[in-house]
Amino acid sequence: MLTILKERTEEIEKVAAKYPSRRSAMLPVLWMVQQQEGWISQEAMEEVAEVLGSTVAEVYEVVSFYTMFQQKPVGKTHLALCDTLACAVCGSMEAAEYLKTKYGIQKDKVTPDGRFSLEYVECIGACSIAPAMLVGEVLHGNLTPESLDRIIASCP
Amino acid sequence: MTTAPADWERVLLPNIEKDETEWIDAYMGGGGYDVARKALDMKPADIIAQVKDSGLRGRGGAGFPTGMKWGFLPQGLYPRYLAVNADESEPGTCKDRPLMEQRPHTLIEGVICACLAIESEKAFIYIRGEYYKAAKVMQKAVDEAYEKGFLGKNIFGQQGRNVDLVVHRGAGAYICGEETALLTSLEGYRGYPKLKPPFPAVSGLYGKPTIINNVETIINVPFILRNGAEWFKKWVHERTTGMRLYSVSGHVKKPGVYELPPTVTLKQLIYDICGGIRNDHELKFVIPGGSSVPWLKPDQIDVPMSHEGVAAAGSMLGSSAVMVMDHTVCPVWAVANLSHFYHHESCGQCTPCREGSAWMHKILRRLEKGGGTMEDLQTLRDIAGEGKPGSGMISGKSICALGDAAAWPVGSALSQFWDEFVEHVEKGGCKYENKRHWMANGKFVNERFENMPVL
Repeated sequence: MLTILKERTEEIEKVAAKYPSRRSAMLPVLWMVQQQEGWISQEAMEEVAEVLGSTVAEVYEVVSFYTMFQQKPVGKTHLALCDTLACAVCGSMEAAEYLKTKYGIQKDKVTPDGRFSLEYVECIGACSIAPAMLVGEVLHGNLTPESLDRIIASCP
Repeated sequence: MTTAPADWERVLLPNIEKDETEWIDAYMGGGGYDVARKALDMKPADIIAQVKDSGLRGRGGAGFPTGMKWGFLPQGLYPRYLAVNADESEPGTCKDRPLMEQRPHTLIEGVICACLAIESEKAFIYIRGEYYKAAKVMQKAVDEAYEKGFLGKNIFGQQGRNVDLVVHRGAGAYICGEETALLTSLEGYRGYPKLKPPFPAVSGLYGKPTIINNVETIINVPFILRNGAEWFKKWVHERTTGMRLYSVSGHVKKPGVYELPPTVTLKQLIYDICGGIRNDHELKFVIPGGSSVPWLKPDQIDVPMSHEGVAAAGSMLGSSAVMVMDHTVCPVWAVANLSHFYHHESCGQCTPCREGSAWMHKILRRLEKGGGTMEDLQTLRDIAGEGKPGSGMISGKSICALGDAAAWPVGSALSQFWDEFVEHVEKGGCKYENKRHWMANGKFVNERFENMPVL
């Protein structure tokens, strides 16, 4: 029985048809779930398994391998701040401290109002505009206290 | 032969500053897709011969000759697949993102040409999950190309000529940039690398012959077919040809992605192109080709940025990602940061890589915090080796090169900055104040962050 993916079976079939093997639709379908729900729950994994003809264990194996798949709920806006070398030497940890002291946004936590969650991530391929952060799906580089203020103010 | 700056031509990203996407009408207005149309009438072997002749080498890091790679496909075995590696994850590297965001149709035309060369009817672009915008742009461009009949069945109206292109997104795993891991991930599994041989050219995606090329490699193909191999070889240093993209990050005044010939020296790149070191600080060290390559000190940077030039200096050109560190950066802290990366990204299949990267990270953190011993330095040296292939306990002892990539920077840092490692032991921790943590007196300690102009 599908609930989370109930409305999306047609879309899933279209995606699966692009690949020579149905199993290849695993990541695309998990992305669909995450974009719809914000994270990937146990129930969602059971539905993905049902739709793709895999076992739940096989789905979990994949979900737990890829760091972008969230295994618990995140804030309305999820912040992914890079702390690998190029960003780190250009101030990403100072940016983290700013988010914490001014807005109470802390690593690996959802803010009490549910607006934000923050994760430190490895290199996001924005080294020449370091320090950089993904705000939801949008990349922001050259972070400063001022730009962080504007980013935070613009989020729902 | 050295070309004068006047002859440097920005081929791949002529308008990078504008940050605009070239959609299909604009692209065709400039002669876009003419090359693919022409390539339909060429023999596959002739396309491969031209690419071979141009000396084009893989731009993802390994620098393997592209034409030769295409020639490895076993005869008569079909279907064949092309996988474009857009999982750009090597720290420091940020060139494929602007390529996809700004020139999606040039990449698609490159895919068509490559598919015709290797006789493949199906290609995949594997884009790292973090590149949301690039994936959206590529998908929209692919849809445009299908609508015009440039992709799909009977492309350009020619019966029986088919090229399908699927945009596939990863979900956050450095290892998926390794070619066999990329294929396993594309098949819908954990991104585990596979032991070679068999090489993907023989048994790759779904067990079929598969060619994997980097975005920048593929995007060069239409230019080579249009302008000829001789044109591409105008920019040459030894066996490195063509204009290429250098991603420069860290403590230079003007970090960015620059398109330059391989004759440009690392020194020119840092001081002339990127304006030198921020606040006129002293240069401490440079990582010339992505985070996994050995480090260079200031007296080693007067070398051409070609595969051969950087190798002569004792490092590797890799993905031509240059990370520049000034004197405020502690080398022990910097390599601890990188070892955290490799520890986090090790897929966990091979014990030397999984455990070795964890041990190195733990020891480096202890050295930073204080509490490190001379024995720790010896252990580090035993694990990491000399920063060269095959030395130490990890390099050459794992399925893929992630183990090597984890070991080389540590081995190289030990060799280049041994005295500072010893100092960390003797002084009970790190003496650098101005490198990472937090604010002092309510002000940002990182000057760049403090002085950064408002966006």
